Amino acid sequence: MSADDPDGELVRRVGEGDVHAAEALVARKLPRMTALAHRLLGDRAEAEDVVQELFLRVWKSASSWRPGAAKFDTWMHRVAFNLCTDRLRKRREVPLPETWDAPDPAPLADAEITAEQQSDAVGRALASLAPRQREAIVLTYYQELPNREAAALMGIGVDALESLLARGRRALKARLEGTDG
Amino acid sequence: MAEMDLNRFETLVTAYGAAPDRWPDDERAAAQAFARADPRAAALLAEADAIDALLFAHRVAEPSRTLRAMVIEGAPTKRRLTGRARMWWTGLGIALAGASGMLAGSAATAALEPITANVLMYSHDDVPALDYSAEENAL
Repeated sequence: MSADDPDGELVRRVGEGDVHAAEALVARKLPRMTALAHRLLGDRAEAEDVVQELFLRVWKSASSWRPGAAKFDTWMHRVAFNLCTDRLRKRREVPLPETWDAPDPAPLADAEITAEQQSDAVGRALASLAPRQREAIVLTYYQELPNREAAALMGIGVDALESLLARGRRALKARLEGTDG
Repeated sequence: MAEMDLNRFETLVTAYGAAPDRWPDDERAAAQAFARADPRAAALLAEADAIDALLFAHRVAEPSRTLRAMVIEGAPTKRRLTGRARMWWTGLGIALAGASGMLAGSAATAALEPITANVLMYSHDDVPALDYSAEENAL
């Protein structure tokens, strides 16, 4: 097992049917992967479906996992990311009702705003970003992936990632401050 | 150390924010040195820091205990793996027994009808090969 993959030993034990290792892997990865799916999809129930599908694949693959170029965490991100983008693509194929409008994030001007309200407003602003900007921000900021890994996951170069990040951050700020027209 | 100028520094902070630990590894030292040396860096960092604060105000709920339990429920256990291996060996046994029977039958047929037997002798090629490559390639 790869010495520089922090999950390698745990995955090996999961593949041998070690239940304690499976529990430890779930404790380590479930919050991280649920957050990824939740932020990409903007829907908690759908995120939970994705995470269940992801872990089914983890359990199936653990016994044959071999260290290669990618770390296990990167492989999990790739599977989860693809599951989410598949769902987002299917959503786009279903025509939206004529009355549908993108959620309108409330401006954060009020100093009395609670942490929960602020979190909700940022969540709505994230959901209203262009999908590629949202993906870049979620992978880089919340998942803390190195820029090359995030770019590779999205199938783009680092320059394109930086452009998406800058535009996404600007758009997010404008929406939260109510200055985006 | 990577080269750093105002233009590249601005690109870095507008993309990755104000925290140096999110800047690319190969440019971090040069960007930090630029931030210390150039008075124009402070305004860019302050603006980026305000957007970082907005981003990190977003919280998502911890996974529920039910979800955790459902996920762990599907994990492989020694008992399941043993059961699966036993089923696999049983299946292989049946397949080999079938192939042996066909071979024996073909041998008997060969004794009676040599021309037809030449065709039947190769029927054991139908036994599935033990090939794990497809599963490993899936990773």
